[in-house]
Parts: sequence; structure tokens; C-alpha cells
Amino acid sequence: MTRPTYFDLEPIMNPKSIAVIGASENPDKIGHVILANNVASGFPGDIYPININASGPIMGYTAYKSVLDVKARIDLAVIAVPAEVVPKVVEECGKAGVRGIIVVSGGFAEIGRTDLQDKITKTGMKYRIPIIGPNCLGVTDSYSKVDTLFLPAAKIDKPIVGGVSFASQSGAVGSSVLDMIDSEGFGLARFISYGNAAVVDEVDILNYLSNDEKTKVIVFYIEGVKRGREFIEAAKKATMKKPIVVSKGGMTDAGAKAAHSHTAALAGSHQAYEAVFRQFGFVIADDIQELLNLSKIFETQPLPKGRRIAILTNGGGTGVLATDAIYEHGLEMATMAKATEKALRKVMPPIVNVRLPLDMAGDADKARFEAALSAFESDPNIDAIMAIALFQTPGADENVAAKLVEYGTRMKKPMAVVSMGGSYTRKQRQIIEKGGVPVYESPGEAAKALAALADYAEYRRSHGKKG
Amino acid sequence: MALLEYFEAERLLKKHRIRSVESSYVKSADAAVKFAGEGKIVLKAVSGKALHKSKSGLVVAGLSGENEIAKAYKLLEKRAARYRPYRILAQKMVHGGIEIIIGGSEDVQFGKMILLGLGGIYVEAFRDFALRVCPVGMADALSMVRQLRSRKVIAPDPASEKMVAELVLKAARMYQGSRIKELDLNPVILHDGTYDAVDIRMIK
Repeated sequence: MTRPTYFDLEPIMNPKSIAVIGASENPDKIGHVILANNVASGFPGDIYPININASGPIMGYTAYKSVLDVKARIDLAVIAVPAEVVPKVVEECGKAGVRGIIVVSGGFAEIGRTDLQDKITKTGMKYRIPIIGPNCLGVTDSYSKVDTLFLPAAKIDKPIVGGVSFASQSGAVGSSVLDMIDSEGFGLARFISYGNAAVVDEVDILNYLSNDEKTKVIVFYIEGVKRGREFIEAAKKATMKKPIVVSKGGMTDAGAKAAHSHTAALAGSHQAYEAVFRQFGFVIADDIQELLNLSKIFETQPLPKGRRIAILTNGGGTGVLATDAIYEHGLEMATMAKATEKALRKVMPPIVNVRLPLDMAGDADKARFEAALSAFESDPNIDAIMAIALFQTPGADENVAAKLVEYGTRMKKPMAVVSMGGSYTRKQRQIIEKGGVPVYESPGEAAKALAALADYAEYRRSHGKKG
Repeated sequence: MALLEYFEAERLLKKHRIRSVESSYVKSADAAVKFAGEGKIVLKAVSGKALHKSKSGLVVAGLSGENEIAKAYKLLEKRAARYRPYRILAQKMVHGGIEIIIGGSEDVQFGKMILLGLGGIYVEAFRDFALRVCPVGMADALSMVRQLRSRKVIAPDPASEKMVAELVLKAARMYQGSRIKELDLNPVILHDGTYDAVDIRMIK
């Protein structure tokens, strides 16, 4: 079967008109929820409810029995009807000149009905229509306001608009990450849950998101890719444009092949994926929490010039832990320039020992935090900063949080904040994250995030020269 | 699935300027003694029916002197009887050194991949290896060396790092340009500022 190297997802992500096939007045139907969500999200284009039994308007919109009855251009058709009828509906969409399709219905290859899925694939290729799904949540887009997720709005935190685009093979992983994005304090550009990938696959999505100006960071949850070599070609280009944070499901090789050599015994499928990710500059996350931890630093922070870290803290013990953590993750402690030392000596009280990690003592306030950040900002021997702010101390309050936001958003070097604690800390943490600076629960998590940033920067430097 | 004959495999290595240890088939204990000269040798029974020589007891190492070699030769003949037809390969012993593995295998999605790792008996115990998709460049090869936990053992200085990386590069080119499906150079022994591939396994 021939297919274009890349299907263009523009009609799906940025449609001017949507048909919801399976739309219904019955609030228990998925078609109803999808229609309602698009209305609620404020989708500005035309909406056409389609239902084979339609006898009057649905939710106030003129309804049609088939897409073929709609005498206007349909950019996107969202299909939520039983699996058995999906192939016929897809064919109708092809005839009607629909430009993009999402099949949210399940009941295909995932339960062994590859016959039904093959029909979708064939029709998609015949009409050259990008089809997302089947067996997926579809998409939500912060810019075009398309929302095909059939999740009750009250149960999921809607992320703010931002630069992270998230693609997930699994709808379950997708929706839980989507729900957590808001509390992690970063913003969403586009979300794609692509399910069984009958037509549109990882390669199409990677290509689309890498050329998408609104997407600053791509976050990918992958269980497997369908076109390995094409995936590599798309990835090579994509990682030179923007970071891709990836997490791979299915770590264990259940169907491990019978190996005749040591090499084949070592190099299983999971190892091959990891090798590809590493070789072509992906940022690898071991689990979902790490996926979020890494994504948020890439969204807001610039890339560092090297691996030299300056740690500042208002708690000595945490500074020691942080020092261990940076070395454990392949980073190193910076050595302050003489001018930085001099400047700090002037402003810090005598109890503060001016060396890294910089322990500013338990009574450090806004002024001390600012003095340290300002000195580190201009020090050429410092590539990145880990700022530990323990808000249990008398000096640390929302003024310190504000300073961290001020410097964390204006410096040309990256900063990660570490802050752990209870409800008061959580409040400060939220101020800092909403302000655009990533906060971590432990020095280890912050070190890992800074190391990922440094690794990616190094990849870009070493591959950029060759052009 | 067929094992490439030893000297056919060795010729492929030579063509790509990859060093391997001096070897010869021997048809008698006397021939083995003559091949050994003053040094130590290894005797291996090679058969298409026994893919894992050491697991089948078909390798006897550290042999020198007429008596020792003759005794080992007889023992091998006995053990190899059930793997007929077989041949006996004599190899010069390489002394000391660090054992690494360089290999190739095909992934269903990504195609030919090249592997570098801590070799010999440590392969399975430590599983310390780096993997890349072919083709690889010098930067990839260097990053493979640096990725290993055992990098300071395998490549303690820039010269040895460069040597190992270049070897990976040569092996990757050979593997990619050939019809071999699986490749094991295990071990390759790093010694005295150079290296020798000691066991070669190529599967077509």
C-alpha cells in the first residue's frame, strides 16, 4: 500500500468546520460529549452533527443523516459510531471530500478485528485522508479550540495555553498526563491521542509537530513505531529544531526472539528503541512523572552552554544533597569567577561562606536571594543554576518566590528551583511555576532535569556543526 | 541461518582492516604442536552444529608443549564426535588484556544495529553495552565508548578510546555493507596498545 511519507495534520488540528458523526441529544453518548465539548471550548467554525436517525436539530445545530448531505466543505469529521459501521462512514467521508478524520470508536485491531481496521486504512490511503485512530481520544488544540476528547469536563483540569504538545498512543496515559499538566504549571499547545494508528502514525505526528510554530516542546508517549527508518529521518530533523521528550511503554520484551549470537541476545527491541532515542537526540523519560519533570524545564528554560552548575540554598544539608545529585547525573559544580566572589562577599553576612554550594543560611531573605542570583547571572563560569528555596525558614516568603520568577524568566542561563514542604510551600511553588520557572520536589529531580537540558544542548551543538 | 566458515569470516575482517588473532586449521596433534612453536595456543572444535563452542566444551585454552597439546587434541576429538563434521582450529593465545564485544544484529523496525560492550564472560553478567543504528559516524562511535560503565577499563586514555571507536566504525561499515544478519566479535582482546579479534561469529 502506498502512502505519502507524511500526512498533513493541519485539517485535523486547525479545521474551519467539524462534523461529529454519531452526535446525539442523549448525554450518555460519546457523540454528545464531543459535540458539547467543542461548543464549550468555543470552537469558532461551523459544526455539523451527523446521525443516521436524525430527525431534527441536535443541541440546536441543524443535523444531517450523512456527511454526504452537508453541502459545505467539512475539514474534520469525528467518528463515534459502533466499529461495524465505521468503514462505511469513512468511505462516505472520502466521497464527501472530508479533509481529515478522527475515529474515536474502539473495537478494531486492539480486540483482533484487524479486518475492520484494514478497511479504514485502505479507504484512508485511497482518498489520501489523514485519519487518526481508531480507538483513541483524538485531539485537543489550545489554539484552534478543537476538542474531541470525550472526557467529562468537570473531571479533568484544563491546561493553560502554552508551548508543549503532547502525543500519546495510549488514551489512558494521555488523559492522565493532560490532567496533570495544569498542576505542573506548564501550558499546552496541542494534544494528540492516536490509538491504533491505522493511517496517521508516529512519523506523521512527529513531522507535523516539528514544523508547528506553536509547539516549542514535543512530548511523546510511544509503545512502538510502525515505520522505523522514516521515524529516524523525521526525528533527525525534529530534534535539531526542538526538544522531544519521550517515554516508551512496554519495557520488557515479552516475545524476545531466539538469539543465535550474544549481540542479538543483548539487543532486544526495547534496547533498540532506547538506542534510537539516544542516537538522534531525544530526551528519554523513564516514567510519566519524569516525562512531566523534563517537559516543564524544556518549555521555559534556555539551553545551557555547558555542565557547570551553581547551587544556592537557604539550607546547608540540602546543598550537600544537591551537590551529590549533580555529580550523579553527570554535571559538575561551577567555580565562581573572582568578581562573583567579591560581589557576594560584600553583601552576604559574615556567617555565609562564599563558595559553592552557596549556603546563604536559614535567615536568607529576598535581598540575599537576589544578590546571589544577580551575581550568578553574570558569571561566565556558571552555565546553569539550581536554586533551593526552603519556605519553612523565617526569611523565605512570596518575595523570594517573586525574585525566583524574575530571574528564572529573564536570565540567559537555565534555572531549576527545588522546594519541598507542606501547604505554605505548595502555595509558593505554584507562584513560581505559574510564573514560568520549573520547581522540583528534590535536588535529584532538579539535577536530572538540568542534566537532560545539558545533554540536549550538547547534542544540538555537536550535530549542528556538520549542518 | 548459517554460520560463516571461520576463514571466510576472517577474510571479511581483513578486507576491512580489522585485526584477528593468528589461526589455522590443524589436522593432527603434530600439526597443532608445530603451529604453537614456543608459544601458547587455544584449540577449538568448529562445527555448524554447535553454535556455542565454549558451552559445548569445544574450547581448550592455554596449551603449550607437545604432551599438553596432544592430550587436548584427543579430548576435543572425543567431545566433538557428536557434532560431525567438525574441524579443529588452532589459535595463538593473546596474553592479558581487556575483553570487549563488538556485534551486529537486525532490529525489525530500525534495521542493522551495531553494539559495543564489555566482552567475554562478562557480557551477560554485567550487560554493559551501547547500541546504535547503522550507519554510525566517528561521533557516534566515541559516544558509544563513553556511554559504557566500564569505559575507564576499556578506554583509560584518549589513544585507546580512539582505537576502540575506530574499530567500532570499521566493524559497523563491514556489517552494514555485508549480507551478514548477526555478528559477534567476542571477545576482541585489547592488549599492548592494539587489539585482536579472537572469536568470530557471523551468521548469514
